[in-house]
Amino acid sequence: MSDAEAKRNPPHSYREVSRIVCHVHHRLSRHVGERLVELGARSVLIEPGRTVRQLRRPRPFGLPGKVVRLEDQPAEVFTAVVDRDEAEAVMHDIIATAELNLPGRGTIYSQDLVEYRRPAQRDGQSDPSQTAPPVSPTRTEAPGVALLRDLALITCILSMSGSGEQLARVALDLGTCVPVVTLGTGTGLRDRLGLLRITVPPDKEIVQLVVPAYDAEGIMRILIDEGNLTQPGRGFVYQTPVRAGMIDTRLRIGAQEHAASIEQIIAAIDELKAGTAWRKRFVGLAGDETDEALRLPRDNREISVICTEGRAETLVEAAIEAGAGGATTSRVRRLSSIDIEGRIAARERSTISVPASICERVVSALLEAARDSDDIADRIEVLDSPAAFTHTT
Amino acid sequence: MSERKPTERKRIEIPLPTALRMLGDYAAARIGEQVRSVAFIIIYLLAFQIVILGSPPAGALSIALGIGLVVLGLALFLEGLLLGLMPLGERVGLQLPKRTGIIPIVLFGLLLGFGSTLAEPAIAALRTAGESVTAWETPLLFLMLERTPEALVTAVGIGVGIAVGFGMVRFYFGLSLKPFVLTIIPLLLVISAVFSFDEKLSAIVALSWDTGAVTTGPVTVPLVLALGIGVSRATGKGESAGGGFGIIMLASAFPILSVLVLAGGLHGETPSPTDEQTFFSPTFREQALKLFESSEELERYAFTRAGETGRRALFEEEAEYHAALEALREDQTTRNRLLGDLSLSEWLTTQASDAERDRFPRIRRSAETPSASGAPTGSAGVGSGSRDAGGFARIFAEEGRLAIRAVVPLSALLLLVLLVLLRDRPRYRDEVVLGIVLALIGMAVLTSGIRLGLAPLGDDVGARLPRVFADSTHGIERVVIDEFDREVVFESIGPDGDRRSYFYLHDDGEPERVRFHPERFDEARSRYEHVVQRSPLFGPELTALGIALVLVFAFGLGYGSTLAEPALNALGRTVEDMTVGTVKRSSVIRAVSIGVGVGLVVGVARIMYNIPIIWLLAPPYLLLLPLTIWSEEEFTGVAWDSGGVTTGPVTVPLVLAMGLGIGSELGVVDAFGVVSMASVFPIVSVSLYGFGVRARQRRAIRDAERSAGDE
Repeated sequence: MSDAEAKRNPPHSYREVSRIVCHVHHRLSRHVGERLVELGARSVLIEPGRTVRQLRRPRPFGLPGKVVRLEDQPAEVFTAVVDRDEAEAVMHDIIATAELNLPGRGTIYSQDLVEYRRPAQRDGQSDPSQTAPPVSPTRTEAPGVALLRDLALITCILSMSGSGEQLARVALDLGTCVPVVTLGTGTGLRDRLGLLRITVPPDKEIVQLVVPAYDAEGIMRILIDEGNLTQPGRGFVYQTPVRAGMIDTRLRIGAQEHAASIEQIIAAIDELKAGTAWRKRFVGLAGDETDEALRLPRDNREISVICTEGRAETLVEAAIEAGAGGATTSRVRRLSSIDIEGRIAARERSTISVPASICERVVSALLEAARDSDDIADRIEVLDSPAAFTHTT
Repeated sequence: MSERKPTERKRIEIPLPTALRMLGDYAAARIGEQVRSVAFIIIYLLAFQIVILGSPPAGALSIALGIGLVVLGLALFLEGLLLGLMPLGERVGLQLPKRTGIIPIVLFGLLLGFGSTLAEPAIAALRTAGESVTAWETPLLFLMLERTPEALVTAVGIGVGIAVGFGMVRFYFGLSLKPFVLTIIPLLLVISAVFSFDEKLSAIVALSWDTGAVTTGPVTVPLVLALGIGVSRATGKGESAGGGFGIIMLASAFPILSVLVLAGGLHGETPSPTDEQTFFSPTFREQALKLFESSEELERYAFTRAGETGRRALFEEEAEYHAALEALREDQTTRNRLLGDLSLSEWLTTQASDAERDRFPRIRRSAETPSASGAPTGSAGVGSGSRDAGGFARIFAEEGRLAIRAVVPLSALLLLVLLVLLRDRPRYRDEVVLGIVLALIGMAVLTSGIRLGLAPLGDDVGARLPRVFADSTHGIERVVIDEFDREVVFESIGPDGDRRSYFYLHDDGEPERVRFHPERFDEARSRYEHVVQRSPLFGPELTALGIALVLVFAFGLGYGSTLAEPALNALGRTVEDMTVGTVKRSSVIRAVSIGVGVGLVVGVARIMYNIPIIWLLAPPYLLLLPLTIWSEEEFTGVAWDSGGVTTGPVTVPLVLAMGLGIGSELGVVDAFGVVSMASVFPIVSVSLYGFGVRARQRRAIRDAERSAGDE
């Protein structure tokens, strides 16, 4: 940026925070949501999703063998923003509240990121959530609950309907974790086709997996292969780091074949070894071999833009103007302890993956676009993304 | 920042062949989907006709064309809904709470609800169902359907308007649907029960419940659904409001109430039901004139719709009656006055009694008389008469007009509200416009295709269906041959020497050999009366099997036609979206279709055994009340909405054809009640399905946690 521009646009103020993501079964979600709000976490968002597990049942009529199929269950995905030093305390609290240490209950993890908000407040409006009381977890940590570190989050954005299940099957076969699937709509190439865009459905399925960091790239490659993501227009996969978390290991439900499930054994060994490093399977894949079509840019950023529903369009446009390729937008809902009578709770979250080189520019463009409205709900989060894949088009 | 819209930015030029290929793939996918949903009912009807009834469908070419149009129309219409109407509705719903308060929202709801009734009046369907309604047996029905249908439409419109308004209030404040259901349904049941005991009002009960079932048409349902989802999302109460479902249910329940109230209001002004003779007699004249504008109209009604007893009863003196007949024979003006649109020969064949016909010797049946073969007298098929060549353009024009009326005003209202009141615009404007156009064309093509192909097929089957369980050969119609020449009779001889007489009869078609019965020959007048005998499909001892077959057919008809309903498809997609794929739309569609199948079985049973409607309405609705209390909020709305979604452009004509066919065979007054049965049982089936889903989820959680206790 030139000097003149720099004077006009001072470097943006940001905060270093943590994003806590928790997905629980639909039936347990009320407690988690309420607890997060009670704890004073900021910007608590909730989104419907589904978890996919393998269901094994004995064949009917006494036939030999087992029927293995995928079982979908409704889940809610909570996202909240807390200060970095409070992240683990909050996570422990939620784990205790929803008993997430038990397999099958859900997953929770935290990611460090950088948050940008609109600097100026108009008309003395202040967002009450920004001045919330500090987080004060009151429940004591459940004994024996240790968070796993060195994890990574793999996010797959898939264009064809049904590919979410397919990818989930691959992930479950690999034994990674319980995938969670949410919906979104994509913008980008499609918008430039004119009316012909109706032949390209915008709906996307977003599959998210929490895996050991060491294996992340290997797993990504397998997902790309098995999910046929090398074909153009199929999808987009990227990885973001996770600070700490507790993963749901109950991948398989139904008939139990042994005294303990393989996941129980893995969890026990994780605890013994105080980490997941022992699980590393894919040796020596750190970025050497490449495929012609397989491009794994090393230095990406994930930018998430959260705004009131209906505004994402404008903001995404601004981002694309500044050089972003496209965005995936999901609808979420805001939970708040403050009475929101008259305040609209519908939000949109758009996720943009950009190379680090243009990240600053895109963020500036977004903030500029956000400045033009008096909507105080706008928020931008930026996360490192060390590996991403998309077809070279 | 520049203000370029997404679509204008760096437009990528796609070469034409690629573009065509993309369009082709896309169109093929959509049409393929609709072929799959329509396949069942088409194959079912054809199979039933060919295999069971043993006769190929008449006019096979036009039926095939009609089916093709149905598939195309469904694909276009559904795409138009998903592309344009539903996003538009959702956008309006989303922005309304942001920019306005609750009062404008409610007013908008009232306007939309009332407007949708005017746009998609289902009154035509109801009138068809009530074709054989007579003024003396069910005067109140006659009044509401025939004399003042505008009052009926207005009452329905008010009901739907209030419903949509209430729905908006519900979402705005995040109220649960359950209290509404638990108040309205018992109220309706109580009123219906009370009415069932009054001789005048009992016939109205079936009509009012049917009205509720048909109100929300294929354009209104997805629109109102999307609107509700938008409002529900914006006001953010989410969970407790059930995510946007529930308006359709209200839009089906409130009109029932308003029709019942209307009936109650008109109750005092109608005469009591009587028999035909009393009705037309001069002593009753004052009462009878409550239903007619003038004595002249009453006379015309007596001639065009009543039988001889009625006509005789009209006049004080017998001589006047004969004089009237004389005048009818001689004087053209009298004919116009008494017969209205009917020509004399038509009247002679359809309405006149034997004695009366005797008074008109040597009046030939002229060429424009409707052919007396192939349709039972007194019952006009739903789609008959529309298959003539050159009629296709006319049909398309008529349906096109109806489609414009259904789609354009509602879309215009929404656009107006969005652009002017809310000062917002839809994300992809060109898609919205395209969607509206597609919905328009699709609806016109769909309804034309139904009239050309599906309805005649249903009519054919419906008309022949009663034969399946008739346990005696009885004449359905007569062909009267004046100037019968004895010379055409020839004889055949059997091995034992017994002789039988036959002659050839051609009646606008191939000559058919017909048995000659000397006793039916009137020597004096050279007239022979040929009674067309239709033998039943099965022998008399197999009637029970026949009835079972009819019921099985009814189930299949309900199931198959519901699979094709576009509004149900839209509902299913919405449910799938809301649950992020946990509940697949095919499961929802199947659950609803099964419910409709069961409902039709019950409806047909009602016609066959003439069970009072309240006995059939009360049990399922009463069962639904505890089911609703126990069900989850999100499924409550979906289940109750399923009831309103089912009766649409595909189901109603088929169901009515079947109902009328059976009804006319049995001489039942009306075919009401079938539609309301097809509306209540899906609610039961979807509620039960919801319980099943919940049980499965609970079990899965238990399974997932099972090892937890060991830790």
